[in-house]
Amino acid sequence: MDYPFGKAAFWILILALLSGIGVAALNRSHRVHRPDLVFLTYTSDHANVYAPLIHKFERDHHVTVDLEVVDLAALQERLTAAFQVHAEVPDLVELGVVLMGSATKGPLEDVGFWDLTDKIHTAHLDDQLVSARFAGFSSRGHIFALPHDVHPVMLLYRADLLAKLHIDPSQLTTWDDFTRIGRQVTKDIDGDGIIDRYMINLPDDSHDGLQMLLLQKGISLFDPMGNVSFDTPDAAETLCWYVRQTEGATRISFNAQGQQNLCRCMIDGLCLFYICPDWRSRQFQLDVPSLSGKLALMPLPAWSPGQRRTSTWGATGLAITKACQHKDLAWQLAMSLYYDKNQLGPRFEATNILPPLKAAWTNPAYDQPRTFFSNQPIGRLYANLAPFVPSDYANPYTSIAQAKLRDAYLNTKLYYRDHPNADLMPIALDQLHSAAASIRQIQSRNVLLETAH
Amino acid sequence: MSASAFSHKPHTGRQAASATSRRSFPLTPYLFLTPYFLLTIVFFLYPLFYATILSFYQTNGPTRKVFVGLANFRFILSDPDFHIALRNTLLYTILSVTTQVPVALALALLLNARRDKLKSFFRLAVFAPNLVGSIFVGILFSVLFVPRYGLVNRTLQSLTHHGLLIAWLNEPSLIMPALLLASLWMYVGFNMIYFLAALQSIDASLIEAARIDGATPIKVFWHVTLPSIRPVTTFVVVMGTIGSLQLFELPYAMLRGFGPKNAALTIVGYLYQYAFQSGDLGTGAAVGWILTLLILGASLLQLRFLNRGQS
Repeated sequence: MDYPFGKAAFWILILALLSGIGVAALNRSHRVHRPDLVFLTYTSDHANVYAPLIHKFERDHHVTVDLEVVDLAALQERLTAAFQVHAEVPDLVELGVVLMGSATKGPLEDVGFWDLTDKIHTAHLDDQLVSARFAGFSSRGHIFALPHDVHPVMLLYRADLLAKLHIDPSQLTTWDDFTRIGRQVTKDIDGDGIIDRYMINLPDDSHDGLQMLLLQKGISLFDPMGNVSFDTPDAAETLCWYVRQTEGATRISFNAQGQQNLCRCMIDGLCLFYICPDWRSRQFQLDVPSLSGKLALMPLPAWSPGQRRTSTWGATGLAITKACQHKDLAWQLAMSLYYDKNQLGPRFEATNILPPLKAAWTNPAYDQPRTFFSNQPIGRLYANLAPFVPSDYANPYTSIAQAKLRDAYLNTKLYYRDHPNADLMPIALDQLHSAAASIRQIQSRNVLLETAH
Repeated sequence: MSASAFSHKPHTGRQAASATSRRSFPLTPYLFLTPYFLLTIVFFLYPLFYATILSFYQTNGPTRKVFVGLANFRFILSDPDFHIALRNTLLYTILSVTTQVPVALALALLLNARRDKLKSFFRLAVFAPNLVGSIFVGILFSVLFVPRYGLVNRTLQSLTHHGLLIAWLNEPSLIMPALLLASLWMYVGFNMIYFLAALQSIDASLIEAARIDGATPIKVFWHVTLPSIRPVTTFVVVMGTIGSLQLFELPYAMLRGFGPKNAALTIVGYLYQYAFQSGDLGTGAAVGWILTLLILGASLLQLRFLNRGQS
């Protein structure tokens, strides 16, 4: 039989029909075989650790759990979009504070995550965990995710180079001590006009370094009520300090952009000190094995004698979505993955990431000397600082605030470049006020949040 | 078309009837056009219509919305960040079009003049960057521009004894030149191909006649070559302008954001921030409409200017 519109159209039609049937069949099969729990994480490091535990959980509970790794940026945007259009979402998700912030932009009933506040209180987790770590996953007094880590910050240093320079790191107890020594060691050694050695690697192209130092002072970008809280004289003082260490004649820092350059910089001995949250210590171990035994950790210098010697950088949490059909099962899986004391010792050995469960820190793994870190027991060093880690509150406008903070820093830095002898404080404070005002203006537009109150 | 094309076997009665019925009601073209119209309606007209409505709402995703009238437009037009995005986009568009078109034309002229076998190789070499995605180019250039260890700074240092520590992607004033350099590398080959095709289609006798009349190479270029490729030049300029006004992924990948002082924030980047990072589709839709009007205005202006006197 001849097809009336010719062979080409006939084959296009056949292909279209076959494709349609294929898509429909695959979709049906996906629905029929949906596992009991779908768990998304954004890093294969986490997935590799979880995989054997999940297999055990599946055997013990006679259920199926699908573990998937999705890039963080993709995860954040897809999940936000899926919540908004009520599309299919996973049951459990590992997420950062930025996603938690954007997920809590509207009324509480719109938040796509299950409110865990009561569960956490009932399980007494608020007493057992480092309480500051709930800040990144809370909104308006409600907790929407379980904290995965503490991420205390220390300084990593080239112990071999410090020994040659006769610098005793234990004497660097305040940032004033640190900068004083920094100005001595930051120099052009071979006289070619280019500085060959810096005291510290500090990022000057992002908010990260400055925000971490503000947190050390207890200054979060937002307070627990969601108000902008970084336009204070104390914050301006920190900003001035940061500008002076990253610009002009007083500069003691170099910014090695990107991990590859950072490793090159470490191997070359270009910088003596590096900001090192627990997660980064693992990266260094993997990326610069040639420096094994030449590196060591010390607490951050304090802003004033006796004050906090650490800060925090980053956070991961585990949330259960409202759409999850087996919430209790999901909760049990979360507990077994995050707070099973027996697992957390070996996990620290594999990841160097300190869990927030205080009881876990008694495991001998945390006292194990590490050859890479000049035989220091880095678990104990991080655990000793963990109770002092500051709260970093989640907010829908965190990304914008971080960008504004960076711009305030940059504007102050440009001013300092042109006026090296001027009093920076009024400029820094003015910049922070201006940044905070623009965020408040954006916040004030959120009629959705206003109607929710 | 040869006569044999019409000399197939004679129509059967059934085919003839079918042909007659098709002549009386030409269903076939409409059937073939249906998928196109369906796709246009679903993925173009409906979103356009819905975006217009959305621009008058504040949203948290498409399901939660509050009518705010013209507040989104008022906010955008008074927002300093939008002013920065508008300025960056216009500056990039002007600079990228005015650098890319002459460079692409120059390369095309060079290649057109070559007669050897290496012509294809050079053509491919110049065009090749366009085969990779802009995300890849962004990441590549972010590595090339790194202070102290980046190839660009190393080369500068070895040639001029300066420049090792230039922070291309950290100095607001240097971000635009870095972006232009990356986009030039990426897109110049694409435009060159258009010019090359246009140059190859110029009637050789015109150039020959001009030469016989004593025209210098510059006069031949100005009075014969350039007018002959005018339609292609118009096309390249208009398409380049439209593409430049939609710039987003290259700076976003290169700077992993929009750079210090939003030096790489473009209008599409601004739209992305609101619509997809903040979930405020209403503000995003309003930005989209402003961008559409901008592109429409710029394109009409260029077409009018470039086609002036062509008839």
